[in-house]
Amino acid sequence: MIYLDHAAATPVNKKALEAMEPYFSHDFFNPSSAYLPAKKVSADYESAKATIAHAIGAKSSDLIITAGATEANNLAFTSVSLDGSCQLFSSPTSQGSAGVPLQSCYPSILYLVTEHDSVRKVAEQRGGKPIKVLKTGVIDLDDLKQKITDETELISVSLVNNELGTIQPLAEISAIIREIKIDRLKRGIKKQLLLHSDASQALNLLDINVARLGVDLLTLNSAKVYGPKGVGALYVSHDVNLKPLTYGGGQENGLRSGTENVPGVIGFAKAVEIAKEHLNGNRKKYATWRQTLLKELTDYELINKKHSVDNFVNLCYNNIDAERLIYLLEDKQIYVSTGAACAASKGQKSHVLAAIGLSDSQIAGSLRLTLGETNDDAQIHEAAKIINEVVAKEKERLQNV
Amino acid sequence: MSKVFVGMSGGVDSSVSALLLKEQGYDVTGVYMKNWSRDLPGMKCPWAEDLADAKRVAVKLGIPFEVWDFEDAYREKVVEYMLEEFKKGNTPNPDIMCNQEIKFKLFFEKAMERGADFIATGHYARIIDGNLARAVDENKDQTYFLYRISDEALKHTLFPIGEMLKPDVKKLAEEKGLHNAYKKESMGVCFVGEVGMKDFLKEYIEIEPGEIREIETEKVLGVHEGAVFYTIGQRHGLYISGNKGEINDGLPYYVVKKDLKNNIVYVSKNLNDSHIWTKELKLKDVVTRTNMLGLRAFATTGASDEASPVTTGASEEASKPSILVRLRHRAPLIPAQFDGEKLVFENEIKRPASGQSAVLYDDEICLGGGIIV
Repeated sequence: MIYLDHAAATPVNKKALEAMEPYFSHDFFNPSSAYLPAKKVSADYESAKATIAHAIGAKSSDLIITAGATEANNLAFTSVSLDGSCQLFSSPTSQGSAGVPLQSCYPSILYLVTEHDSVRKVAEQRGGKPIKVLKTGVIDLDDLKQKITDETELISVSLVNNELGTIQPLAEISAIIREIKIDRLKRGIKKQLLLHSDASQALNLLDINVARLGVDLLTLNSAKVYGPKGVGALYVSHDVNLKPLTYGGGQENGLRSGTENVPGVIGFAKAVEIAKEHLNGNRKKYATWRQTLLKELTDYELINKKHSVDNFVNLCYNNIDAERLIYLLEDKQIYVSTGAACAASKGQKSHVLAAIGLSDSQIAGSLRLTLGETNDDAQIHEAAKIINEVVAKEKERLQNV
Repeated sequence: MSKVFVGMSGGVDSSVSALLLKEQGYDVTGVYMKNWSRDLPGMKCPWAEDLADAKRVAVKLGIPFEVWDFEDAYREKVVEYMLEEFKKGNTPNPDIMCNQEIKFKLFFEKAMERGADFIATGHYARIIDGNLARAVDENKDQTYFLYRISDEALKHTLFPIGEMLKPDVKKLAEEKGLHNAYKKESMGVCFVGEVGMKDFLKEYIEIEPGEIREIETEKVLGVHEGAVFYTIGQRHGLYISGNKGEINDGLPYYVVKKDLKNNIVYVSKNLNDSHIWTKELKLKDVVTRTNMLGLRAFATTGASDEASPVTTGASEEASKPSILVRLRHRAPLIPAQFDGEKLVFENEIKRPASGQSAVLYDDEICLGGGIIV
């Protein structure tokens, strides 16, 4: 098997798995219980949280653990207060209770058009407006500046795009936001202006520091960094007010009730630790592999030429249906994707590729390879060879039609 | 090389059909007909997975694959018809309508426009001397769903697995490495199936709860969810509450009558209730396929019976060619006589729901059929 879809899922790192193991049946106690063995579990949990927090230059108390990045993204949007006259979860086509379209109820959110559905759908629900991207997939800063108004409260821009691997200039965005905040202060406007970033894909590829990025809210995802699935975290700057999505025992500063997922967080922390340790080595390794693929593959156009993390290789094959390539490669035990796994399973065309100006036929011909820890040098050469063969075979078939 | 467009649903039957056509040397194109994609509350429509399964097989076979979108037409021709029938108190069969209006009409026409010599589907059915005929696999025969398709379409249709038994179809799929050899049978449309239909109707038809009454006594036994949900002869789904000792002696109730105007469902414990049993069925919208065989012979004899007082008698009666009738998919074939609009059975049968089809056969040839009034 050659697995080239690490942006969809990663196997749990062996050391992370080992670290988790005791917490399933031996140290199973509820961290909130009074006796000493439970207090030990509680301490281990807190120390794991601290490990994750420190990895992004934050404190343990800034972190809300969630059941994955989707929940963390949803939670981030509760930082924007809701206008009482609007219903939160009406369908996108319906209108507010006072007959006002939702759009006018929440003029306060901006989001990057290429965001993952777990940001895009929430933002749309709340009447958010999309910010354009340039052909490179990078945010159009002019469009951002133009769309920020005195009503804007939250801007959501992912650190690394999940389909193209595009790195967004978060520091530049936060600098723009800082200027606007100063200007608002001068004019006596007290409305908050927050920056949220979904960094699900980034933790094992970029050195993340919340202060340097200038974000107020940051989403982390265990499943994409060789930790267990179903665990995520939201970094929340101390001056941001969130509202819980679930109510109960008041865990996670009252923002995410429910007994702590101790093994999950222990595994996540271990995965983060390992990711940090190998950050530079991995980047070099992926960059080399990417170059190898680009050299050895034939007849393609590279979609993500610039501004991308090193392990994303997005190829476009002209006049070829990339979905057919997926099935042909699957037959040879090579696993790739056309785009985000969830978009593909719904039979939808990628909104990300459309946003960077690709035509329908270019989108149909697009293949996403995401490299990772399951790969080695030999696999990369082998993959290039087989992909070339499969593409040639498909072209031959088309010529005979 | 003859050009064939084969409808591929993602199931094993249509997959093997495509495989066989390819092996027989046809120029094959696989087509997924997208008829319905909307999820229902609590029920995910599997169309995207089905489409992926179909495409995966097409790629494996090395044939071109396309998606043809018939959602608007399906809604208009099949769903609307179905809802109208339910509102009238009937129990329509959407699959029969889908074959008549979509697969063997729109799909057929589009394939012909695209230069096809044939269309093909994974139905268990055969074509013998140009006639629609029952499949070799008696268990799987699907001609019940096909009796209304046009002769024009049939002339250009192939049923590649009509000669095969289902277990052999699965075995062949496995031998050829098709991933869906043992895939759970899909109904093609999300809302087909007993549970699905009720959820579906709830979404689209305004229903009101009403009384359930015992037919013999007019006594109100309980409340129903909406009369359209009930079918004559149906035993399940009656939530009758009350004094257990008095009315619920452990014997089940059966639906025997629906009064749609007053929204009353009548039930009875009497399995012999006259509403449940019948010796005759009236048909409407009768389709006679080009080859009439016994049907025409019978109709002629029947007509002369009435016209002429001279010819009667028991011996004449017995010599009337009788035909075989199927009242549900996979139901046994029952002998009957037909005069063009009325079926007469030798013994009483359990009355099928109005709106369902009666399909007529002469041995293995499908003669046509009609909608039960």
